[in-house]
Amino acid sequence: MARRYDSKTTIFSPEGRLYQVEYAMEAIGHAGTCLGILANDGIVLAAERRNTNKLLDDVFLSDKIYKIDEDMACCVAGITSDANVLTNELRAIAQRHTLQFGEPIPCEQLVMRLCDIKQAYTQYGGKRPFGVSILYMGWDTRHGYQLYQSDPSGNYSGWKATCIGNSSAAAVSILKQEYKVSETDLHQALLLALKVMSKTLDMTKLNAEKLELATLVRNDNKTEINVISVEEVKELIKEHEQKEAEAEAAKQDKQSGSGKSSDK
Amino acid sequence: MNTGKSHTMYPSTSGTSVVGLVYDGGVMLAADSLGSYGSLARFRDVKRLFKVTDKAALACSGDIADYQFIREVIEQKVRDDVCGGYTRELNAGALHCWLTRVLYNRRSRFDPLWLECVVAGYKDDEPFLGYVDKIGTAFEAKEVATGFGLHFAVPMIREAREKKQNLSCDEARKLLTECLKVLYYRDCRAHFKYQLADITPEGVTIHDDLNLKKETNWEVANYISGYE
Repeated sequence: MARRYDSKTTIFSPEGRLYQVEYAMEAIGHAGTCLGILANDGIVLAAERRNTNKLLDDVFLSDKIYKIDEDMACCVAGITSDANVLTNELRAIAQRHTLQFGEPIPCEQLVMRLCDIKQAYTQYGGKRPFGVSILYMGWDTRHGYQLYQSDPSGNYSGWKATCIGNSSAAAVSILKQEYKVSETDLHQALLLALKVMSKTLDMTKLNAEKLELATLVRNDNKTEINVISVEEVKELIKEHEQKEAEAEAAKQDKQSGSGKSSDK
Repeated sequence: MNTGKSHTMYPSTSGTSVVGLVYDGGVMLAADSLGSYGSLARFRDVKRLFKVTDKAALACSGDIADYQFIREVIEQKVRDDVCGGYTRELNAGALHCWLTRVLYNRRSRFDPLWLECVVAGYKDDEPFLGYVDKIGTAFEAKEVATGFGLHFAVPMIREAREKKQNLSCDEARKLLTECLKVLYYRDCRAHFKYQLADITPEGVTIHDDLNLKKETNWEVANYISGYE
């Protein structure tokens, strides 16, 4: 049976698979959803907040979205303790670069460095891979706004819009249909994020307490990473629901209008 | 912890002054081509100035071996960046910062690279000129020089700037060659063959094998008592 081949990460299975890496990705599939959308003038990260216990002390504004550097933030999905180790390492990598070169690390370079570390845990050392996938949003002078995704295998790629965690496949397919390349601005991206979250999360109505939203924009040669407050999220949800209602009404009109004119 | 080991703390073949200035439209760097072996003018075609990337050039005075070593490390670094493709081209500011860290760390280990470097180029569309030395002292300025250049050339440049704040390319070149000429007259370890680098937003141009011997006038030597 395949069981014999998956206890050590350093071993391939007879079919050429790395089971530990795949199991790590399984673990992430059960974690809270995170999605990222690249807009023309900024980037949006949205995350499902799973720890909504009233007794929790609110020391941190957000428990899935972390600021890495002046120009980069990331959102994690998976085992929280693994995520903490990786976000710490990301921050250290960024600062080491700034110490050496006196300027912020280019986004892709930061992602690449962490992914090399993640990959090492799939090849040697006899340790298990990190059970975390990360979505990075950042800005640099080389490529402007960028969105990256990395997974336990140590692979990374740049995205216009993507999703990780629970129901990520469903979210990605909705994004594929709804996202308009180079025609989306930040506000539209925020609404799109809410739309996708409402369709993929297992709640019937969007709740501002269960969502974390963050944006990254450039203003006056400075990057602003902003975790949106609960009140503002409530406003956005209201706007989203309004738009949904309008869209529904328009659809109804079209359906009834194609038959004969309805009389109310 | 002290194993009784020590590293050489003196230069063997060394280069003399480097002079650099920022002008209206770019940055210029000049250094002569002499590698002195103490008071012997041993190697008369040493290239102490080199292009790092399209945005940065570096010139060093001090130990030539240490210069050649750091030049090779930097050239490999640039190659790695180009091959990797995930980072942007090293600019003058980043090179200056990196060099400062390296030189300071070496001195803290009592194993210095015996150099005084001038980094010239562009950082984020702004002209950049910086100095780093063997003990890790680093600063940026509009005119920078090493060795004797600090005492002869920098005051000359500052005087010219007082008359005219923004120098044109030709004025800068004339001023720089004048500085090198004065240094050749007064610095025993200087030579008349030199290199000049001009860094503009378009890129780095290095002029090699320049010679200022014809512009020198040694008639004044006759008036020095004891010359004959």
